[in-house]
Amino acid sequence: MSIYKSAINRPITTFMIFTAVIVVGIYALIKMPVDLYPEIDPPYISVMTTYPGASALDIETNITKILEDALNTVDNVKEVTSTSTDNLSVITLKFNWGSNLDEATNQMRDVIDRVYDYMPEDVDRPTILKFNTSMMPIVFYAVTANESYPGLDKILEEKIINPLNRIDGVGSVSMIGAPKRIIYIEADPRRLDAYNLTIEQIGGIIASENLNMPSGNVKMGDMDYQLRIQGEFTDSRQLADLVVGNYNGIPIYLRDVAVVRDSLKDLSLDEKINGKTGLRMFVMKQSGANTVKVAREVNKNLNELKKTLPPDIQINQILDTSSFIKGAISNLSQTLIYAFIFVVLVILVFLGRWRATFIIALTIPVSLIVAFIYLFITDNSINVISLTSLSIAIGMVVDDAIVVLENITRHIERGSSPREAAIYATNEVWLAVIITTLVVVAVFFPLTLVGGMTGMMFNQLGWIVTITVVASTFAAISLTPMMSSRVLKLRKKEVKMKKFSYGRTIEPLLNKLDDFYAKTLTWVLRHKAFVLISLSIVFIASLFSLKFVGTDFMPQTDESRLSISMELQTGTRVEETMKTARKLENIIQEKFPEVELLNVSTGSDDEGGMFSLFIGSGSNIINVMMRLTHVDERERTVWDIADEMRDIVKAFPEVVTFNISTTGAGMGMGGESNVAIEIFGYDFNTTNRIAEEFRQRLSNMPEAKNIVVSRKNDKPELQVVLDREKMALHGLNSATVSTMIRNRVNGMIASRFKEEGEEYDIRIRLSEKYRNSITLLEELTIMNQQGKKIKLKEIGSIEEYWGPPSIQHKRKERIVTVSAIPNGISLSELAKKIIKLTDEVPVPQDVLVNVGGSYEDQQESFQDLMLLMLMSLILVFIVMASQFESFTMPFIIMFSIPFAFTGVMLALFITGSTLNIVAGLGAVLLIGIVVKNGIILVDFTNLMRDRGMRLYDAIVAAGRSRLRPVLMTALTTILGMVPLAFSTGEGSEIWRPMGITVIGGLVFSTIITMIIVPVMYGLMGRSGERNKIMKLRKQFNALDD
Amino acid sequence: MKAIFIVFNQAHTERVEYILDKLGIRGYSWWSEVKGRGSVDGEPRQGTHTWPEMNSALIAIVEEEKVKPLLERVKKVDEINREVGIRAFVWSINEMY
Repeated sequence: MSIYKSAINRPITTFMIFTAVIVVGIYALIKMPVDLYPEIDPPYISVMTTYPGASALDIETNITKILEDALNTVDNVKEVTSTSTDNLSVITLKFNWGSNLDEATNQMRDVIDRVYDYMPEDVDRPTILKFNTSMMPIVFYAVTANESYPGLDKILEEKIINPLNRIDGVGSVSMIGAPKRIIYIEADPRRLDAYNLTIEQIGGIIASENLNMPSGNVKMGDMDYQLRIQGEFTDSRQLADLVVGNYNGIPIYLRDVAVVRDSLKDLSLDEKINGKTGLRMFVMKQSGANTVKVAREVNKNLNELKKTLPPDIQINQILDTSSFIKGAISNLSQTLIYAFIFVVLVILVFLGRWRATFIIALTIPVSLIVAFIYLFITDNSINVISLTSLSIAIGMVVDDAIVVLENITRHIERGSSPREAAIYATNEVWLAVIITTLVVVAVFFPLTLVGGMTGMMFNQLGWIVTITVVASTFAAISLTPMMSSRVLKLRKKEVKMKKFSYGRTIEPLLNKLDDFYAKTLTWVLRHKAFVLISLSIVFIASLFSLKFVGTDFMPQTDESRLSISMELQTGTRVEETMKTARKLENIIQEKFPEVELLNVSTGSDDEGGMFSLFIGSGSNIINVMMRLTHVDERERTVWDIADEMRDIVKAFPEVVTFNISTTGAGMGMGGESNVAIEIFGYDFNTTNRIAEEFRQRLSNMPEAKNIVVSRKNDKPELQVVLDREKMALHGLNSATVSTMIRNRVNGMIASRFKEEGEEYDIRIRLSEKYRNSITLLEELTIMNQQGKKIKLKEIGSIEEYWGPPSIQHKRKERIVTVSAIPNGISLSELAKKIIKLTDEVPVPQDVLVNVGGSYEDQQESFQDLMLLMLMSLILVFIVMASQFESFTMPFIIMFSIPFAFTGVMLALFITGSTLNIVAGLGAVLLIGIVVKNGIILVDFTNLMRDRGMRLYDAIVAAGRSRLRPVLMTALTTILGMVPLAFSTGEGSEIWRPMGITVIGGLVFSTIITMIIVPVMYGLMGRSGERNKIMKLRKQFNALDD
Repeated sequence: MKAIFIVFNQAHTERVEYILDKLGIRGYSWWSEVKGRGSVDGEPRQGTHTWPEMNSALIAIVEEEKVKPLLERVKKVDEINREVGIRAFVWSINEMY
């Protein structure tokens, strides 16, 4: 028993099955997390190794090189890059997409174990870090305070962070720039010398005084007492009265030789939010948690918790990644609803029957919901990609149902009962329906095989369209016949039609259209050569327009966020950097009313943790984060604003380099695409010179902006050069001397002061005024074991020199990159110009210059896309050739494909858009639709021929009868895309290019298909099924008289 | 006794069944899928892609008085839409087991 027969005979079972699907789908829909993009494990693993006290160069030779060589042997590694900075080596391995990262991590661990012994002794064991999209903070808050500022750290920790951490799905809550309490003991070296004291001695005394010690049990009478000595300080003021020594019988108090300051840690990071002091707090989610839900919960809880805070503490949201997601998702959901309405309207206009429209429209939710079940089972989320895929699918899922329903209607109108009509009509078309579905699957299934970052987007699209279309076919041969047998009935021929009834308004119009098309076809068939030549000219002309349409990587989105990172001369003190920051702050507040929230952080926080991996920091660096007003509420786009800010920052003489970026949380997707010149070479001077040359030339290029050189300027360092012989004379060695210098300058953490369960460092060092020049440093007193005081200048000297702050490697070679983003031109055009530039600049032989960056990714993705198209074409050909059992028919149909691209090019040219990945995707999609239209036409023409019509008659008749189905398919898809192409809300930039390409391509290619396919058929399709039979029959001629 | 052979488009199946029941014709032999083509203008029924429709056929041996009402009804069915197609042929039965 066939599916459709069972479905019709058991309507309740059928109905229940589909109800079950819908119920499960709705459950999946409710349970699924909402996110911007599908969660992915980017194939990057980093190895971090610290070697305290080593310079960038030491790190490079002693750690990075050894590890790089070893790690390069791990399976599936695509590229190894590294950065060696002072104290730290970070090596990043890029794997092929889809590699098993767990296995890679294990292998890396083995490799590291093997080489660990070859590294210097003090090197900490390397740590392996795996990246994940969920590691990016999802919400940022700016916290400002006045009187409560000194205690802000503790207040937030207790009242906000701890409760927030309890929320389900919150990974961690951290702060940057929080003021930290610390107790400084600042000594006067002259007094120390006078009393024969050293920092180390004082430190030792403090440590031995600040002590609680249990001292055993004492039994007295019936009781057993514990004996304890409570020596710990209860107040930081007690420190000042500590006796630290004895001079001629007089006790020396700490206050005599030093100043005790219970205060905040010295400034290294300065946070200003809208000009007020404060800090930043950020929330990270757990992997797999629902960003939107977590952000909502956090915000809700925070609003409650805020009430418990002192009134001067203000918490403002700087960034909520979920708001963009919510905006984008609701925007797309709306698009989906509009698409649904449009599709239903198109069906209604063409069929003119409510009941039929209802039956067909029913297949839409059923097949779309199956996609949700798929997403749920595969642990995916509702995201921009999946929703876009659904809106693409929405126009396609009705096609099969339309074919089935049309045939059923025809049978009913011939007098069959709806039940029988449903059975026999479905029987007639079910195979054809499945084959057209196969064509669509042939186009979309290869998408699931694409790798790389583009693959991440395309895989989901491929699966969703494949699954929904297959589901729709299933519904079309079960649900549609079942519903038709129940709902459809014979329409009575109305003798008197109402004035505005369907039969008097739309139907005559459609009939006229049919007639017009039939006439056009007759004319076209008589002028085949003319038509072919003129169409070829159009196609060639469109190839030329390719020159004017630039190519890009990913579309950029206006996320209402801007960030600036500026760098002053390396080594600038944070206090100086702050002055520039204040200046910038004032200008921004004055000139850009769109900036709703302004967060400026200057300097670096040594406890930034994970976050400092993403944002560079240093005493000379200013990081600015800005939130703009909503897209609809401002006239200037985020790019306009960025351009203006660029001009302003350029005018600051003290700023060495700066970078203004408009990307937020998109993790490099939907962000700015750049072109990077990669300069490989060992010698710093040569590569620096070349990098500078490129930087200069790029700055003179009006098409390039945001020029960034990856290698920072050399930074000034002071080096203490010790004389070993002299040290030996005094019984000293490098280790003791360097520890002593460190204690005097950086400070020695003598002990920790406890208060209310928290511990604060007690740091003892020389007062700043005694250690802020080379002369003063040379005067530092070092005491040897005999108690002899030796000045630093006696055993060594202090020299000033310049060292690179960081060394980057790519493929184990030193590299400098100079990157730029296009200004008013497309990425490909900029890349072309830059490639030309690299030819102009002379480079020595040992230096290699290469053009990469997003441009490289783009090239790779385009290659992938081309391969994909090729594969789709081959698969489509296979399906068609077997369907028609012919090699010519697929060719006839495939002749229409080039014109789909002509349409795409024209649409891009007219709207001034660029060809990017998303638009390319639209083009792939077009193949499916165009081919489908072609199949409908050719199949019917074949049918007419086989039924004995003459070639041209068959073509015209087929065209006339298939015009409506083709127009319906095209119109449902086009109108489904209209909301995508014209939406302006958040995130719309991502899919607008797809809307434009599909609409443009489809309008054009549908018209051309309707002409070129009949013409090609007229040329190539001379031998139909009839001729084959004739040939067969010739064998039996002998039987004739 | 008469043999009546009815060939009809599958789409008429339910109507034919109804007629047989109404006339109290119990015994018949039924071929549910039969190819065919009209002698004058009837479209071929071949179950192929070109001619997807199929006929069914049945033969029933009935009393003579049932032949006339049966043919009348067949004509009625045919008149609903001639394109769909139904034909009945009657001949005599000489002997029966």
